Amino acid sequence: MPDTDYLIVGSSHAALEAVTAIRMHDHSGSVTLVTRDRHPPYSPTILPYVVSGRAKPERVPLRDSGWFAAQGATFVREDALVGLDPDAFTARLESGAMWRYGKLLLATGARPVVPDIAGLETVPRHVLRTLDDAVALREAIGAARRAVVLGAGLVGMHAAENLVTAGLDVTIVERGAHPLPLYFGATAAAMIGQAFAARGARLLCGRTVASAQGGGDGAVALALDDGETLATDLLVVAAGVVPETGYLAGTDIGLGAAGGILVDAHMRTTRPGIWAAGDVTEGPAFGGGVAVSGILPSAVDQGRIAGMDMAGDRVPPYDGAIPLNTYAAFGRHAVSVGDALAEGDDLDVHEDGDPETGRYRRLVLRDGRLVGATVIGEAIDGGILRQLILRRTDLTPVKDAFLAAPRDTARVLMSRLWR
Amino acid sequence: MTHVATNAPRVIVCDGNQAAAWGVALAKPDVVAVYPITPQSSLVEYVSQFIADGTLTATLMNVEGEHSVLSALQGAMLGGARTYTATSGPGLAFMFEPYMRTPGLRLPMVMSLVTRDGITPQCVWGGQQDAMTVRDVGWIQIYCETVQEVLDTTLMAFRIAEHRDVMLPVNVCHDGNYLSYGVSRLEIPDARQAEAFVGPTDVNWHTALDPARPMAVDPLTGGAGGPGPALFVRYRKSLCAGMEAALRVIKEVHADFADRFGRHHPALVEAYRLDDADRALVTIGSMTGAAKDAVDEARAAGTRVGLLKIKTVRPFPVAAVADALSGVEAIGVIDRAVSFGWNTGPMHQEVLAALARGGRVVPSLGFIGGLAGADITAEHVARAIFDVGRLRDGQAPAGPVWLNETD
Amino acid sequence: MGRSFDTIRFRAEACDACGQCVIACARAKTGTDDTSRARLQILGGGTEGAELALCRQCTDPQCAAVCPSASLAKDPDSGVVTWEAETCVDCLLCTVGCAYGGIASDPVAGHVAKCDLCDGAPECVAACDRGALEHVTASRLYNTQHEREDLFAPGLSACHGCNSELLIRHTMRHIGRETVVAAPPGCIPGMGVVGYNGQTGCKVPVFHPLLTNTAAMLAGLKTQYARAGRDVTMVALAGDGGTVDVGFQSLSGAAARNDPMLFICVDNEGYMNTGMQASGSTSYGSWTSTTPVGEHMQGKSGDAKSLPMLMMMHNGAYVATASTAFLEDYHEKLEKAYATAQHGFAYLHVYAPCPTGWRFPAALTTEVCRRQVETNFVTLWEYTRDGGLRFTRPVEGRRPIGDYVEMIGKYRHLDQTHLDVIQHQVDERVAFLRRFAAPAGG
Ligand SMILES: Cc1cc2nc3c(=O)[nH]c(=O)nc-3n(C[C@H](O)[C@H](O)[C@H](O)COP(=O)(O)OP(=O)(O)OC[C@H]3O[C@@H](n4cnc5c(N)ncnc54)[C@H](O)[C@@H]3O)c2cc1C
Repeated sequence: MPDTDYLIVGSSHAALEAVTAIRMHDHSGSVTLVTRDRHPPYSPTILPYVVSGRAKPERVPLRDSGWFAAQGATFVREDALVGLDPDAFTARLESGAMWRYGKLLLATGARPVVPDIAGLETVPRHVLRTLDDAVALREAIGAARRAVVLGAGLVGMHAAENLVTAGLDVTIVERGAHPLPLYFGATAAAMIGQAFAARGARLLCGRTVASAQGGGDGAVALALDDGETLATDLLVVAAGVVPETGYLAGTDIGLGAAGGILVDAHMRTTRPGIWAAGDVTEGPAFGGGVAVSGILPSAVDQGRIAGMDMAGDRVPPYDGAIPLNTYAAFGRHAVSVGDALAEGDDLDVHEDGDPETGRYRRLVLRDGRLVGATVIGEAIDGGILRQLILRRTDLTPVKDAFLAAPRDTARVLMSRLWR
Repeated sequence: MTHVATNAPRVIVCDGNQAAAWGVALAKPDVVAVYPITPQSSLVEYVSQFIADGTLTATLMNVEGEHSVLSALQGAMLGGARTYTATSGPGLAFMFEPYMRTPGLRLPMVMSLVTRDGITPQCVWGGQQDAMTVRDVGWIQIYCETVQEVLDTTLMAFRIAEHRDVMLPVNVCHDGNYLSYGVSRLEIPDARQAEAFVGPTDVNWHTALDPARPMAVDPLTGGAGGPGPALFVRYRKSLCAGMEAALRVIKEVHADFADRFGRHHPALVEAYRLDDADRALVTIGSMTGAAKDAVDEARAAGTRVGLLKIKTVRPFPVAAVADALSGVEAIGVIDRAVSFGWNTGPMHQEVLAALARGGRVVPSLGFIGGLAGADITAEHVARAIFDVGRLRDGQAPAGPVWLNETD
Repeated sequence: MGRSFDTIRFRAEACDACGQCVIACARAKTGTDDTSRARLQILGGGTEGAELALCRQCTDPQCAAVCPSASLAKDPDSGVVTWEAETCVDCLLCTVGCAYGGIASDPVAGHVAKCDLCDGAPECVAACDRGALEHVTASRLYNTQHEREDLFAPGLSACHGCNSELLIRHTMRHIGRETVVAAPPGCIPGMGVVGYNGQTGCKVPVFHPLLTNTAAMLAGLKTQYARAGRDVTMVALAGDGGTVDVGFQSLSGAAARNDPMLFICVDNEGYMNTGMQASGSTSYGSWTSTTPVGEHMQGKSGDAKSLPMLMMMHNGAYVATASTAFLEDYHEKLEKAYATAQHGFAYLHVYAPCPTGWRFPAALTTEVCRRQVETNFVTLWEYTRDGGLRFTRPVEGRRPIGDYVEMIGKYRHLDQTHLDVIQHQVDERVAFLRRFAAPAGG
């Protein structure tokens, strides 16, 4: 039975960051990465750009083989974790191989949800989570004239934009009241929707698909809840993701309400010797509670904490995940940080927008401290805003300046802080 | 290599300072550091000239004071050099700080002390106050009687110092004025023979400042409560052992010198007409010549007086002194220095101590003479012999007797 | 592992937000005067002081960690966090990774832009004549030093905050093993350099000379090595007592004879190892245990003796002053001094403010060193026989002496009259030195 001091499952952000962190502290322990994917490590976040053609598939690897050699890490591809025995410290792979590990990191990310819609399982459809998904979608675009995107989340909207740009007739179906409901409020969303509409896309919000039926030549007919039928050559399902935890069947490793692996502030699971990080987790959220964070910066932070803790390095507890999103629609940038959508009497919300210029801002403060922000069409340093939130920096003395010029005021504050 | 052989006349007439310089030339030190002081100056001038002429191939360091003279030589020795210098009186006092340290470092340096009386009163004349004052520092001290002995002892001093059982610095003392400037016949040994006698240089086998064998030289020794004091005692005891070994080595070297060069010099002490003596004088250094004349005269007059010359003062030849004086009933010790606080001369005290070690208490009288360059003549010594006679007869005169008090 | 890189240092107190750096950057990087596109931004100014947004070229750059296209990376050779246009997808995730505002979208170019240190010659620094931006290349020093062998035992027991250990480790790493080190009594052997109880503190031959005879012992030793035809460098690591006071005679002799050695005086202005007594190097007004403060005494009443000037007057083959706040300057001088010491007398006078004896917080030593120089209390210069005296750091535009004095506890009792005296001494000393300085361009 092969064995390894550190077994890392997954080859994306959380996994890679953990390897670096382990090696900062432990130069000699054996490190093995196992991933289901057949490609060198890449980021799911790059996939929309693979679809659009902006990123070439061969240029997306986050690390090359030289990196693994330099880290002294073994990289096993195209083999998936299918079972665990936490008492025996063994992991079973799809190939049948059993690995004995000293410490295990589960960084298996998430997989797309296929909504419970009659017939959807059987019709030709696309999702976007792997490089192979992206390449397949890109190829499909060339043969299609009409497209339907299920879900107006970040993935869906990004895919939709690619399809629009490629010249297809695009319809987006979103259950919520407006696109990107998890990230933007009504005003901002309207501005984004406007940009799509202006380019001929149909955005059907507050609607759901009742059933799907396959036609010839890969065509699909979708019946909406209001009876409308959409015929399409290309169906993209972007209805959200769930943590990838199938291999936990038969173990007592704790899962959260949203299906993520429960972790504490050191990314430890409920079983000793097993850590988890990234999209697969349900862990501390900044400001309290637990959440499935689902974003790249959180995967990086968590991977690092897990790696340090596994290697026995001293690591301060995780601050908790803070939402951080950047989104660009047709060249216009939007940044949302923290609890940008928060509403409430205890909040001091400053919102202003101008659909003409495409500029929009929503700054949310509580007790003089920033808790969230959305900024569209204007330069902002999301990283600095994140620090202001994390550090609970009191903005009272500079509040007017901050509201007038958030970027420069925040920069001054941080510059002073770093000195 | 053969400069000395070609340049050196076999027999010359010269003073003690030049004789010392010839001894140095024959011993072939690597580094000589000099700073002039009366009555040593002509000695370092001779050595400097030898180096200028190529008679001696040493490196000459003209430094800014005696303190640096000795310091520079310590450095040179830690690098493996055989070294030499000379000083006197206030120069010795000025170099006292590194002087005090040389024995502890076990650096087998040779330094002539052209002895000079202490100031104040201001004085540039002979006397042994300088050398006697530092006799407990850990240097070997050998006092010469004649110009020839100055050369021969200087040569021997290198071998004594560098002997592995000794490894201590040596002061070759010769009296300022009387020996430094007094001229007589000098036989200069053959250079090759002298080189063979002294042997190859090997002075830093025990402690060195050399990147090829890095070590800390003289790290701090900790105080009470750690291993420091015990370590310190080990160093002290080994220094004492070196001194004890020197008693043997000095004799061996003198014997070997006599074998090779045919000149016999007493090594530790010289007994003169002591065999049947009932009273004795003890002398040191150049006064001994006149004293021997006075002894001869007294003997001719029927007085059974003998003489003991102390040549090696450090290590003090306790046994040899006690042995030589075992038959006498009264002794007089002529010092050329004062032991303040004992109200007598230092050799007087030490001779008594040597006798007391053997359980003997002998009536004794201290004489102090030759201070500030004064002569000690046969007449002075005759008076001393007379006083010792009275002492033996039970009429104890009060000491000390200041020999030149009424000159 | 263990490599260090250049950075740009910002001294807010020297910045008046004139904007020259931003213009220089915009021109260099965009070919325009559009300062909004510059990769560094100066913010604020006025009473609150200026602030900076600029890439810190982090060791573990977050912008790169969160980049999904691997377009950002720390260059292992230059240390610059590089950005690759070809693979960048303009997702702006890097801007949420960075906590410094060091990478931001250039709206005209349509992608992010960041500082690349202009290939090792930053234009912004060149454009700053206020001394607010400094291209810190000390990392090069660190990297070369790092590769060299540390010749002292680990765990020398210097006081907390003492710069002597830093100094001597740097010095010996630079000089190497073919050396003999003399450490006369004082703080340096006190911290264990020569060792204790028969054990050594040093990997090269090392010894305790007397406080008085360091230069003479080295001169003798060197003489013997010269005779033996061996190239061994003599190094003294002496305190000011063993240099300025009792050590002076032998030092003067060696300097006058041009004895080959490198004599380094580590000047902490007194006998700090034995309880902070005054030395000839103690500066005017200083409290020490032998120049105390009381009704009839206000610290030291006379000025310090300037050994570097005296060594220059000896026509030493190489004489220089140095400060550990300016280590690159020190290393340049050390290099020259070391070369000189192969055939002649080289003297380095290095200032070692003593947190224990001078009473300032241990964490401030380097800042105190810097302030000494910035106020001209200490001037950095070198002297060679053919080049004369040359200031290696400008003495113009000094800060008032109070800026230095206020940091140090041993001056706490001084009033304005005393300060005036010290200011006068400082200015007089600089004026005096200027007379020896080679004319401009010379
Ligand atoms: C299209 C798209 C766009 C996105 N855009 C953004 C964005 O703009 N900003 C943002 O912050 N985030 C974005 N994200 C989310 C971001 O990519 C993820 O949060 C991040 O990749 C999570 O990293 P991870 O390491 O936790 O998991 P993942 O990146 O999901 O990687 C999981 C890894 O585990 C492997 N794996 C899974 N199961 C197994 C198994 N059983 N055995 C072995 N290996 C297995 C996979 O092959 C993969 O290597 C986007 C995601 C997608 C899909």
